[in-house]
This record gives sequence, C-alpha cells and structure tokens, in this order.
Amino acid sequence: MHTSQNPHDPEYPETLAQTSRRAVVRTGVLAGAAVLAGGVPAFTPAGQGAAAAAPTPASGPFRHGVASGDPHPDGVLLWTRVTPTDEAVPGSGAGPDVTVSWIVALDPDFTRVAARGTVRTGAGRDHTVKVPVSGLAPATEYWFRFRTHGGVSPAGRTRTAPAAGAAVDHLRFGVVSCANWQAGHFSAYRHLSRERLDAVLHLGDYLYEYAPGEYQARDAVVRPHEPAREMTTLADYRARHGQYKTDPDLQRLHAAAPFIVTWDDHESANDAYDDGAENHTEGAEGSWRQRRAWAQQAYAEWMPVRYEPGETLYRRLHFGSLASLSMLDLRTYRDQQASSQLSDEIDDPDRSITGQAQMDWLLAGLVGESAQWKLVGNPVMITPVRFPSTLNTAELQGLHELLGTTTIDGVPYNVDQWDGYVADRNRVIRHLRDHGVKDTVFLTGDIHSGWACDLPADPLTYPLNRESVATELVCTSVTSDNLDDILGVPPRTASLSVEAAIRASNPHVRYLDFDSHGYSVLDVTAAGVRMDWYRLDERTSPGSGASRTASYDVAAGTQRVRSTGGVL
Amino acid sequence: MSGVHGKDSGLGRRTLLRAVGASGAGVLLSAAAPAAWAAGAPRPASVTAAATGSEAGRTRVHVLVVDGCRPDEITASGTPTLAALREAGTWFPQARSLPVMETIPNHVMMMTGARPDRTGVPANSVYDRALGRVRTLDRPGDLRFPTLLERVRELGLTSASVLSKEYLYGIFGDRATFRWEPEPIVPISGHAPDHYTVDALIAMVDAADPDVCLTNLGDIDRMGHSDLTGTTLRAARQAALLSTDRQVGRFVDHLRDRGLWESTVLIILADHSMDWSLVWKTVSGTRILAGDTELAEHMVVAQNGGADLFSWTGPDAGRSAALARAAALLEAHPGVLSVHAPAQLRLGPEAGDLVAYCAAGWRFTDPYVVSNPIPGNHGHPASEPIPFMVTGGSPLVRKGHTSSEPARTVDVAPTVAGLLGLGAPDGGYDGTARTAAFTG
Repeated sequence: MHTSQNPHDPEYPETLAQTSRRAVVRTGVLAGAAVLAGGVPAFTPAGQGAAAAAPTPASGPFRHGVASGDPHPDGVLLWTRVTPTDEAVPGSGAGPDVTVSWIVALDPDFTRVAARGTVRTGAGRDHTVKVPVSGLAPATEYWFRFRTHGGVSPAGRTRTAPAAGAAVDHLRFGVVSCANWQAGHFSAYRHLSRERLDAVLHLGDYLYEYAPGEYQARDAVVRPHEPAREMTTLADYRARHGQYKTDPDLQRLHAAAPFIVTWDDHESANDAYDDGAENHTEGAEGSWRQRRAWAQQAYAEWMPVRYEPGETLYRRLHFGSLASLSMLDLRTYRDQQASSQLSDEIDDPDRSITGQAQMDWLLAGLVGESAQWKLVGNPVMITPVRFPSTLNTAELQGLHELLGTTTIDGVPYNVDQWDGYVADRNRVIRHLRDHGVKDTVFLTGDIHSGWACDLPADPLTYPLNRESVATELVCTSVTSDNLDDILGVPPRTASLSVEAAIRASNPHVRYLDFDSHGYSVLDVTAAGVRMDWYRLDERTSPGSGASRTASYDVAAGTQRVRSTGGVL
Repeated sequence: MSGVHGKDSGLGRRTLLRAVGASGAGVLLSAAAPAAWAAGAPRPASVTAAATGSEAGRTRVHVLVVDGCRPDEITASGTPTLAALREAGTWFPQARSLPVMETIPNHVMMMTGARPDRTGVPANSVYDRALGRVRTLDRPGDLRFPTLLERVRELGLTSASVLSKEYLYGIFGDRATFRWEPEPIVPISGHAPDHYTVDALIAMVDAADPDVCLTNLGDIDRMGHSDLTGTTLRAARQAALLSTDRQVGRFVDHLRDRGLWESTVLIILADHSMDWSLVWKTVSGTRILAGDTELAEHMVVAQNGGADLFSWTGPDAGRSAALARAAALLEAHPGVLSVHAPAQLRLGPEAGDLVAYCAAGWRFTDPYVVSNPIPGNHGHPASEPIPFMVTGGSPLVRKGHTSSEPARTVDVAPTVAGLLGLGAPDGGYDGTARTAAFTG
C-alpha cells in the first residue's frame, strides 16, 4: 500500500486538494444525517461536527465506517474500508485498486487542516486503508475523513497522546470486550460514543468465529453471523470483520475516539494457543498455522492497530508522565492450556502464557517505565481465583459453561487464565515486589463479568496482611453470555449466591458481577484510577439504555481497590 | 534558653547555645562561628525574641525526613498529621529513593542535588581502601560536594541541621550555620528519639529561625530495624508511626503559634522505604564466595542491609576475571536479585567493584548468617518507594495537588534552591526542581 502525506505529491489528486470546504462539509453532513434521522444522536464534540460519530450508509464507497487507533504524541493511525464497486464486498477479492485521500483537521468543519495525503488500496488487502499519520501536535483533538471517487466518508474524531513526560491531569478511557454479534446489539458502544474519551481499550473478542446457532444469546440468535459458517479461511475472517464493521453503534464509537486493541481467542478460535485451539480441528479445518495466519491478516487489515502480519501485537503506548499502557498478546505464544485444574502442568515453570520475549518486555517495561500508572491491557484475568465449596449443582454447572471448564472446590477456576500458568504469574508478582513497582493496574476482559480485585503478593497470607502488589479491573461483556444467561434465570438472582461464595473464598476479590452486559469507563488521575461499570438494560434491544452499576477506585500508591460508595 | 558562649572544639571555633526544649530538657545548639549567629535572624543578643513573625517575602524551608517511612504507611488513621499535610500540599506518589537506598547517601543527595558518583557518598558502609577496612561514611571529609547547608550563605541566608542520627551529624559536620548535636542517643540504634529531636527543632526555630533546615526523625526507621520479635513488629511499627506523626504535629503547631506557618514551605519525605524479611531469608555474600579461594581471600564485603558492596583487594591482573566469577556466583544464588557495576547505579569508586541487591523479603547478612538479625531492611530496590510531599502554609505551595512526576531524593536541593533563588552548583544538578508543587 502506497501512502502519501504530501499535498504536493503528484499522486495527490488536485481535485481533492482543491475541493471547497463547503462542498466537503455538506457532503459529510448529509451522509451522516441520513442515518441520524432514525437513530440515536451521536457524540458531537463541542456541539459541532454533526457527522463526527454518525454511522455510514449501506451504499457508496464508505460502508464500514472510519476509525483511528494507537495514538502517539505526534500522530495516530487512521482506518477505513472502501467499497469501490458493489462486487467488492469484504472477503470477495473483487474490485479495482483505488486511490483514497485523507485529511486531518483541528476542527470538525475541516477549516484548519493539519495533514492530508493519499493512499492506494485494493483487493489484496480487502480494500482496507490504514494511514499512520505523523507530524500532529500532542494531546490534541483532531477530525479526519476520507474521500474517493464517488463519495466522502463520515468524519471521525480522534485524539493524540500527551507529549512524553508531560504532566497530564486526567485521562478517560472506555474499556470493553466480548462483543458477540449473535448475542445482541452493541448498545454499549453507542453509550460509550457519547463520552469524551482519550481512547477506547478493546481487550479482545472483538468478534466471534462461530456459525449461526453455535453461540448466541441464551438460546436465541439475535442476529445471525455472516458468512453463515464458522470462520476458518481468509475470506471468512474478512467477511466477518466486514459484517461487524457495519454495526451502527460500533461505527459510532470508532468515529468518536481512537481504539487501542488487542486480540483474545475468538478473533481466531476459542481457547487458542500457540499450536492450536479448542475450537479448531486440525486437518478438517485446515492447519492451525494457516488458519491463525489468515485470522491475523484479516485483523491487521480491518482493525485500527499498528500491527501487520508477522509483527508483534504486544506494544506499549505512553500518556505523558501519568500513564503507560502495555497491551498484551496472550494467545500467540502461550502453551496449550492445562488438561485440568488438578494437573501439575499449571505450576510447570516451563509453560508460559506470554512467551519469554513478551515476558521480558513486560517486566522491563514495568520497572523502566517513568509513567506513574502502569496500565496493562490484559486479555485474560491474572488475579488468582479459586472455586468455593458451597455451590449447588446448578451453580457449578453454570460456572462450568461460563468458564468452559470443570469446577472442583478449592482449585483454580479457569486454567485458560493466568491461573493456568502460575509460574508466569509468579514472575510478574515477584518482579513487582522485588522492584517496588507501584500503581500497576491490569485492565482485563474475556470472562463476561465485572471484577475489581487486589493482586495478592501471596494469596495464602493475604487475608492476614492484605499485601497486594497491583490491582485488576475487569470489564464485562458487551453482549456475550454470562452466568444468569447460562443458568437461565433473571439477572441478579441466582448469581448473587455464587458471587458471594467466590468472594468469601477469595477475599482479594472486592467486586464481582456475573450478570451484567455493558461497558466500563476508566478515569486516570495522579491521585487515583477509577472504573465505573455500566449495565445495559437489555442487550437484545437495539435501543437499550444503560445505567451505572458500580464504581471502584485505586488510590495512588495503595495497590488496593476500594468501593467509591457501594454497588449501586 | 540559657545564652550563648564560645567554645573551641575539634570542628573549629564554634558558638554554643543551650536552650530549653518544650519538654523542659536542655537542648544544645551550635553555630559554626560567632559571626554565624549574627547572620541568623534574631542573632545572639536577641535570641529570646527570635522568630516572632515572618518578614514580608521571606520563605522558610524545612526539609523533614521521616526516616524509613513507606509511602503506604501515611494514612488518615495511622498518621493523621502527615495525611492532613499531604492533603494540604502537593504529593508525589511516584517518589523514590536512589541507590544505594540507605540513610547517609540519600540525605547527601537531598542536600547536594547530586548523585553519589559526584558526592563520594554511595552507601552507609563502604570498604575504605586507604584504611583497609570497612567503615561508616560519617566523616565530614567523606562528602566532597557542596551542600545547600553552606551554599545558602552565598545569598546571606542561614541553614540548620537537626539530625537524629550520629552518623548524619558526622558527615554533614559544620556545614550548616546552626546545628544540633543529637542527644540523648539510644544505645545500639545510635539515634536520638523523635521527641528530643523535635524539641531541638523547635528550639532551633526559636533560637535561630533558619532559612533552610534539614531535620531527620529516626524513630520509624529504628523501629523497623530494631524490633526482633517478629510477631509484634507490625504493632510496634504502627506505634512508632503514630508517635512520629504526633511529633510532626507538635512542630507544625509551634510554627503556627509563632506566626511562621504562613511563610513556611515544608518538604516531608523519607530517605528510603522499608522491607521486611523472614528469619531464614538471608543471603551471605561472604559464604557465597567462600568456595572460591581467591574470592574468599581478596573480596571484601561492605554490608548495607539490602545491598552488599564488594571490593576486590587482590592483584589488578586478576581483577576482571575475579569480578566476573563473583557476579556469576552471586546472581545464581537464591535471594539475590541482581548484581551491578557501581557505575550502572551512578555510584563512584567508593562503592567498590560490585553491588549486589537482594530480592524483596530477603536480607544480606555478612560475614556470618547471624551477623544481621534485623528483619526490617532496606538498600535494595523493594525499598525505593518513599513518601514525598511539599506542604506548609506558604502561599507558594500548591494545595491539594497530586503530581505524577517521578520525584527523587536528589530533587530536594534543586527544589529548595529554586525557592530561595540559589543557583546550581558547578556541573549543575542531577536532580530536578519539582516546580509542580508550587503555584505560579
């Protein structure tokens, strides 16, 4: 893909460079207004730029929205996908190469242009466009959009990261994971799009691999997946990404704030590990290596992420002196999950969830990092959790389904998490202790439930000394089934006893909500980190409301979570 | 207050002032020379009328070191005064001590703004090649870098030191305009209890009203070190914290009573933190190297709690190979976190040839396993985090603020110098003025 940021580049279309502001703005507003008329008002920064977070139409060259990601102090990655002809649907391999121009401005009316350029794309990369824009000012809000023959994209809002070492008063992140198209609508994304966010952290399971009927909302497929089969090929992964990117709420959120993403397992297949996955049948579904390569290629093409196939996805972003964010990849390098919670494998020092290189990188970053808050985008939980012994058969079965594992009293409850890779977790905990690292917060998804936990230096002595080396805040699922769905009971009924039992057996778990779907908002200041959990009224309703369910914070220097006023 | 008289001491001619502390005990203060009292605010003839108010525009700076305090020990219930002061000023939750995380080098860094490779003071205890033995760096000549305590005189200002530990009093010598000679000293710990130290501080304020004052409160640290019972350590530590907190409160109350609070900037920090080890979690560098005859014969260990400093005393020809073997043996041993060349840590030649850190929960004990029975321990990276706040009644202080800036002990000197308008020393500071703590 050739890109150009120079307006004087001969490949930069003169007609685009000279397009009048009035014409462009009018086109953009009209594109957004068509959808806005029947939808929920989108986030409009400073009351301007009505097209900023509007979903795109189902026709024309920009059908999959616009996005930005991985903000740096001097730039951000822009993304879109063009559909030059109706045949050029995602995964088709059809459609001509096209030139796409892009523009970045300081205002939603695009009067103060900061950067512009052109880029070529085509079927070779499924007509996706990724532009790493540089030369921008730090901690600054920008608007961007694309244009190609036949249309102008909606505008997106983005924001660069603060300058290295700069004092930062406040950061605000959306935190989400586990958005299963078939299990409901992405109202969580719509609600988040109304916040003024520095970025959205997507901690994985951005999309799911299953065929219709394989995994949905309890027993109902709210919206069937396309293609109507489990995705296993490059065309499948591309098409599924394309389907998700047509969701109006997802488009709104991508257009409202830059994303910082990592994958978990479902971007490829359930319970993935280095040499396979639980939901992969070698041979019948091709080779795992090939399947994963295709999944990763589609991910690189379709996500606003500074990642290309063959590179490492784990990376670190910086937000002045206030915070760093280490995004982990816990699928590509991990050893196969232990066969059971009773297996000696979970303590095997030779088994790893990160791989050696990523572990070295993580540990070095935690110590060498000059930022105060060491945030870690962590696809699966690191807090040790053990099964209580007081659950009834139905509750145990529910947990079994939620966790995809067999429940046994007093043993780690999920060996797909760091609980199944104890040696690696101990390396992290020991490192934090040995180096006196403070203010490390793991931000986690995966488990379709909300948690706020201390990370004990030693779980056995924690009840006596409450010594904690870090904290973990876990967002719930956008739509994917959780415990009440599996138990087939109303929210906040049967799950309450399970939550109470787990908290009693694991006193470092301060908050647990096994039922809600929704999103979280993370506020970061020098004094503390606070997470608010929001619950959707009804995930299967496209217009679902949302309400706050709980708030916990971590005061600077404490390594402990605390309620800011009780669970609502 | 009983007046002033001259005395020819080993430090040179100095002026002594015997004051009466708030508790009724005598407090002996000294000045470097008779002229020094005259340079101080009330001067000898008017000592009893000292510190009756703040002159327009004058800023008084007190650096108060709560020795060995952990940042997480400052809580509303455990240390209410310190917690309130933190809320009333600017707090740096990222603050850390610097290698070696011991008392003497970090006090020196506070007052010089320079790292040990420039000050000559890398640790509490070093191998003195000239003497051929390990000793404490407690001599005035050990510190080879100018400190704030004497440099403020360039501006016609005065300084004071109220140091509870004998070795601190020793290394800073007569650099301050006014000094307290710590007494009474607790045997073994070598420090004066905080009650007496704050008595002296209050007397110092009343008698000399210095522009800059460095005070060390040693009880918290000494309770961390000296309590050997284990089971009562936490309770004893908590009691020490509360006691010291009250002493700080007594000092603040005095400043308020004397009308000095509104002109005071109070920098409260620790020199290092504290880590606790279990009885059996010991590492003896001496024993680790004992199996290598050459190392056993020629490697000398200066023990600094969580850090061991190794010096090669053998022939130069075998030095590199010997150090490589020693580093390998040490790194492979349980409880040893890491081994460094001193230059990596910005420690000068006084630190010897290798520095070994222990892991959290461990301690070095040399030369014998029983040589260091103290569970409270510092010197290693686990003891880096420290409380660090800038507070006080001065309108210069930014109230209710928390800063993410990575404050360090070495930042104290440039921060204080910036307040007073004092320039940098030759070669500049290694620290950074933490201006985020101030308005404007």
